[in-house]
Amino acid sequence: MSISRRVFVKSGGLALVSLGLDPLFLERAAFASYRRLPFITAQSRPILVCLFQRGAVDGLNMIVPHGDPIYYQERPRIAVPEKDVLDLDGYFGLHPRLAALKPLWEAKTLAAIHAIGSPDATRSHFDAQDYMESGTPGVKATPDGWLNRYCQHDREHQDTPFRAVAFGPQLPRILAGTAPSLAIDDLQAFGLRAPQPAARDRLTRAFEELYAGSATGLLSTSSREAFDAVQMLKRLDPGQYRPANGADYPRGRLGKALLEIAQLIKADVGLQVAFADVTGWDTHVNQGATEGQLAGRLSEMGEALAAFTRDVGERMRDVVVLTMSEFGRTVRENGSSGTDHGHATAMLVLGGPVNGGRVLGKWPGLDPAQRFEGRDVAVTTDFRDLFAELLARHLGARDLSAIFPGFTPDPARFPGAISA
Amino acid sequence: MKNRIVSRSLVVVGACLPFVGAQHAAPLQSAMPGPTLTPQDSALHALNRLAYGPRPGDVARVAAEGVMRWIDRQLSPDGIDDDRLIERERQFQILKYDRGDLAAMYTAAERERRERKLAAGQTADGSDSVGGQHAVPLPKQADPMIQKSNRLASEFADLAVARATLSERQLYEIMVDCWTNHFNVYAAKGADRFLTPDYIEHTIRPRAMGKFQDLLIATARSPAMLFYLDNWESVAPGSVPPTGLHVRARPIFGRRPGLFGPVRDPARQDSVRRRALERMPNGVNENYARELLELHTLGVDGGYTQHDVIDVARIFTGWSIERPQQGGDVEFHDWAHDRGEKLVLGVWFEGGHDMDEGIRLLKLLANHPATMHHVSRKLCQRFVNDDPPDGCVDDAVAAWERSSGDMREVLRAIFHGPDFWAAANVRAKVKTPLEFVVSAARAVAAEPDTSPRLAQVVARLGEPLFLHVAPDGYPEREAAWVNSGALLDRMNAAMALASGKLPGVTVVLDSLVPVGDADQLSGAVNEKILGGTMSENTKQVLRRELGGIGDPVQARALAVGLAIGGPEFQRQ
Repeated sequence: MSISRRVFVKSGGLALVSLGLDPLFLERAAFASYRRLPFITAQSRPILVCLFQRGAVDGLNMIVPHGDPIYYQERPRIAVPEKDVLDLDGYFGLHPRLAALKPLWEAKTLAAIHAIGSPDATRSHFDAQDYMESGTPGVKATPDGWLNRYCQHDREHQDTPFRAVAFGPQLPRILAGTAPSLAIDDLQAFGLRAPQPAARDRLTRAFEELYAGSATGLLSTSSREAFDAVQMLKRLDPGQYRPANGADYPRGRLGKALLEIAQLIKADVGLQVAFADVTGWDTHVNQGATEGQLAGRLSEMGEALAAFTRDVGERMRDVVVLTMSEFGRTVRENGSSGTDHGHATAMLVLGGPVNGGRVLGKWPGLDPAQRFEGRDVAVTTDFRDLFAELLARHLGARDLSAIFPGFTPDPARFPGAISA
Repeated sequence: MKNRIVSRSLVVVGACLPFVGAQHAAPLQSAMPGPTLTPQDSALHALNRLAYGPRPGDVARVAAEGVMRWIDRQLSPDGIDDDRLIERERQFQILKYDRGDLAAMYTAAERERRERKLAAGQTADGSDSVGGQHAVPLPKQADPMIQKSNRLASEFADLAVARATLSERQLYEIMVDCWTNHFNVYAAKGADRFLTPDYIEHTIRPRAMGKFQDLLIATARSPAMLFYLDNWESVAPGSVPPTGLHVRARPIFGRRPGLFGPVRDPARQDSVRRRALERMPNGVNENYARELLELHTLGVDGGYTQHDVIDVARIFTGWSIERPQQGGDVEFHDWAHDRGEKLVLGVWFEGGHDMDEGIRLLKLLANHPATMHHVSRKLCQRFVNDDPPDGCVDDAVAAWERSSGDMREVLRAIFHGPDFWAAANVRAKVKTPLEFVVSAARAVAAEPDTSPRLAQVVARLGEPLFLHVAPDGYPEREAAWVNSGALLDRMNAAMALASGKLPGVTVVLDSLVPVGDADQLSGAVNEKILGGTMSENTKQVLRRELGGIGDPVQARALAVGLAIGGPEFQRQ
């Protein structure tokens, strides 16, 4: 995308920014889009939305094994009482503050995968998150994330800058890599600011030329993706968005991110992979049971996902939402009514294509002899088997071994999260 | 000791840098900038790395003084006059309160909040009423204590930005930022709301250029860290406070006060005591122990095991806080300490010891080879390259060994090494949001006034100060900061700064970049703001875009905004 291919309006000077401009000048300087906008065709492309519960969610209090007395023995102060658990299958139940998700379970569009995690034993948040995002447990040198590698190897959707979007101030490791991916902290504020559209366009162009010709490395690729997206967003008018079907997103970052994801899905800008973070799961102290710290986080997440599902409506037939977290927490509560870093956790998948209404994965049990290192829920499903299933059976990825190097995905080990 | 937060004084800094100036006059001329760098280039490089970028005239001044001499002065911050900053610090109310005062104010603000919520028909613990709908918006007009508490909280981030912008002791301020991230606490977690200012003022700042061991021990003993990583309630399993000791459950921020206070009704008193005891910590919490090994000292590949984590946690049982709700100091609880023997990294800690074994462990960790390597590498990452060459890390480790972890000597080794000056490492790093905003303010000689808003810009660009929730601190690598949205935000911030639209920041461009035609503007911006690094493409774009603008003041603002928001200025 060299400068020489650009069409410039050389005469007339630049309408300035926010500095009170001459309207006549603006009128004269106003110009049409200088680049052909991408044309998005398919209306029903499969979409994967990933939520990362950073800090390691306590899978045992999210999807509660209320049928196992050991759960209650090991957690005298923080177990969710039997009477409060929302039973799912007689053995597992939802945390009561995830009640907003129960209708999705009944409709068989929500499944849980329990005892899922990494083959690597680390209890470091940062290493474990890194491995879950790179898709290569135990290998730190992997330069890119697995969602980005998917975008590198399946190239059919490269007609849009919005193919892969992370919602937040930083581009996460999972989307780092050579395939274009956006980081959007606030859809409404994405772009250059100026009071008049013409001034904004010219300022945008000036910065775009600066970066196109003078930037190197990551500054160059990121800026190009930014300006491509800005160009396309002009049509959207994100400030005008209203959620559909009475969807009521909870306040906070997660609700806002999911609202903006819903907005991009419905705007048909070609979104295929979306990502957002949810923090606050590192419950070492005073974790709570039916109420309390963890309950508050679960409540926000459940309500946000329920609102998202309602808002996206019909289009949920194309959407799968995956929640993931770097590891689980100790089976036994610690000295401060919390839990320390453990091993396996639980993940949720929801959406039209999901084989829902079931807790998937092989349950290893809570008996100390069955635990990992005697203290944590053992991992029986490698997280890559779930991720690979979603990529293959939902997004239609063909070359899984390129996405998960050093790992041979085997459909026989897929947990069965997607309906056949 | 009553810790009163005062502005940093020569006394405080001097106290931890006793031999400054005398010992290391000799090696001044020993290492030189590489042959490829002119005196101006090397001055600019040093100002980009050891400082938050040059102010107008700095490059020429440092080049004239001699860059190695300037670096040596920066390594002895107590010898540098900082009167202008000290004057400015007096305007920050936050420095007039100690952590007890701040705790009292915070508690009062919380009480106001609760009362208002109760008045609005909500439950007192902050949870919503049944139904799961989110909270009813509170009236806009906040109560006086809430306002004051909010103002002080934001003022502390403003103070950090003002210091970075205005201080003459630039390297010292950069080291404060390094350690603030290395020993991160999250200022929005419970008591850390009022413990964090004290932590920065009295734990980090006095030791930012001293011995690593002293800093490590100080952070381990700080109420802010004890609270943040939960160690204050890590107790030996089965330990019970001695009878007669008032049962004190952990403070639950936002709860009704007096829940565990004196109660008359004996039956109720019994139940209250039982509930309080249920809330009492009754075992080990591994949180601090793990992050101490993984982040503060050895590094994640430093060769420790889960068993080491557990025994480190046992060593720190009983390291608690005296009345955290009131901003109390560290307090050792004999009754909560695990007095059994422990084995850490192959070293036996025999039974029967108290707090002394924790100090012994911290000294062991501070001088462990894995720690030297881990921390030296982080410093090289900050000062040399995101992927630092092994050579400069080895030099830093050698200086650490020679000096028993004197950070000035470690830094000196880095700045005197060939890697620091290698052409491949010049302008090889992208600025973090804090570095971008502060360097932009310095480039245009912006004057943050008494209510500076620069900290809000830093936050908007993704780095809200003291609010990184995880214990690893803000990242240093460019991949964490460079992305599509962040770059657009930087461009917007640059335009706002250049056109005088950042509230609380005064920018007077007249003396810096006089109005002129496109060529003059482009030349002035290149020389004054970009230090002569402007690319041919940028010159062309500036000339083209500035050419037709009638209003010379607008043209100048655009020139400055494009320069600061453009790609050259993102690098350092």
